Amino acid sequence: MATLRFNSLTGTLEKNPTSFFSSNPRLCWAYFQCNNKGERRASRMTVKAMGAAKYKGTQMREKKLTEMIEKKVTEAKQVCEGDETSEECKVAWDEVEEVSQAKADLRLRLEIEKKDPLESFCQENPETEECRIYED
Amino acid sequence: MAVCSAYTTQSLHSTCSISTPAKTHLGFHQKQVVFYRRSSKRGGSGSSSGPCVITCSAGDSQTVVIGLAADSGCGKSTFMRRLTSVFGGAAEPPKGGNPDSNTLISDMTTVICLDDYHSLDRTGRKEKGVTALDPRANDFDLMYEQVKAIKSGVAVDKPIYNHVTGLLDPPELIKPPKILVIEGLHPMFDERVRDLLDFSIYLDISNEVKFAWKIQRDMAERGHSLESIRASIEARKPDFDAYIDPQKKYADAVIEVLPTQLIPDDNEGKVLRVRLIMKEGVKHFSPVYLFDEGSTISWIPCGRKLTCSYPGIKFHYGPDTYFGNEVSILEMDGQFDRLDELIYVESHLSNISTKFYGEVTQQMLKHADFPGSNNGTGLFQTIVGLKIRDLYEQITSSKTAAPLEATKA
Repeated sequence: MATLRFNSLTGTLEKNPTSFFSSNPRLCWAYFQCNNKGERRASRMTVKAMGAAKYKGTQMREKKLTEMIEKKVTEAKQVCEGDETSEECKVAWDEVEEVSQAKADLRLRLEIEKKDPLESFCQENPETEECRIYED
Repeated sequence: MAVCSAYTTQSLHSTCSISTPAKTHLGFHQKQVVFYRRSSKRGGSGSSSGPCVITCSAGDSQTVVIGLAADSGCGKSTFMRRLTSVFGGAAEPPKGGNPDSNTLISDMTTVICLDDYHSLDRTGRKEKGVTALDPRANDFDLMYEQVKAIKSGVAVDKPIYNHVTGLLDPPELIKPPKILVIEGLHPMFDERVRDLLDFSIYLDISNEVKFAWKIQRDMAERGHSLESIRASIEARKPDFDAYIDPQKKYADAVIEVLPTQLIPDDNEGKVLRVRLIMKEGVKHFSPVYLFDEGSTISWIPCGRKLTCSYPGIKFHYGPDTYFGNEVSILEMDGQFDRLDELIYVESHLSNISTKFYGEVTQQMLKHADFPGSNNGTGLFQTIVGLKIRDLYEQITSSKTAAPLEATKA
């Protein structure tokens, strides 16, 4: 989601975050109630990149998905250079769609539902590497 | 395969005695409960004339199956959340299982993601050169067998497709719920699966709106740009048009999302025109209407009694045909800005299957942070959720009414 938010716990700022917020007020509407100017109504600000990730496993998943999106977009561009209508090209962009949606779903879960997907798993298995509480 | 109808026990007369053998003399397994009605001494409440055997099944073997065709991911979409919320309770992934499971479970409903029936994982699809949209990437035989099993009250071990790794993970146990929702790209593709559905919905997003939504979804990602988002949509379009789009003619309800007509040249996808296309003659489903069923109505609620801000709200209702089927179409263009607009609109709609005045508004407010809460997408998704609840109650009560009819014979 293109919003600029500062998280009190962690923060890695996305590239050029301010440009999203000010130049694309319409993007506010997707997940937030916005006033007429397209500004998010809530008063607090948080860094979007981290959301509400609590466990290391979730934070690692987020990172992995982000990297995969970048990698697969680059791959797709390369594959499609030869022939845009080839099967390889279609499959490559389909993969981009799949990981983009997976990332969006994870983000939705963390930001809107505020529930870490590993919550119930980590209650049963608090000792695992994945269930270490994510710290800065 | 034994023919066994499902009935609940509550409404049967108390003169029925219950025996629950693990295996009855008829040779059925487990979930069968046989009721024997004793011949009544006095004739009881006039509903019997001699002994009769009613064969019943205990448990949840009257699972209602709903199909939802959507291109927006699985089991986590806004529509699913609204739907499960109508039945009460929040839907959660199965506790203690695979954290990458796509399944959602609440008290009454279980939502299954049809991606779990991929026969090819990401590597397999790359090798064969097929997208996830292609039927060749999906195991429809397994989908049919398992949905049929769940519908008849048998738990199944369903595979899990992991969207993060792109692999097929070990299966998870799915117990038959009261309502099973199968969500994904191909719920109505296979004819056998289609016949198992008690109700089906197709979410039809127009290309312009799809583009605007994917921009909202992806622009914040480092790897994406406007070009990559556009290229991804374009590349998937041929398979989408060939395999997914044709399913909409089978749907009992189609929610069509289009750009608004209220603002000229609006391409931001912010204000939406949403059409709820409802098939006529579907069992247990009575279409929503405005004012006068079967007539054609154009309605702008904003005026003297209700003031709205720009661009306002516009409704349309009327009969039509859709792929050769008789349908009724309810359409909303514009958006809600205030609570009283929403309540005002709700009070003028008929056949919305609410249990109390203001239920639609209450449901919309409960999820005010969901996308579409201020326009037709949220409104119609909520209404469809209430219609499904109504359909479920009709199906389950018609099953309990049947044995009472039998005793009168």
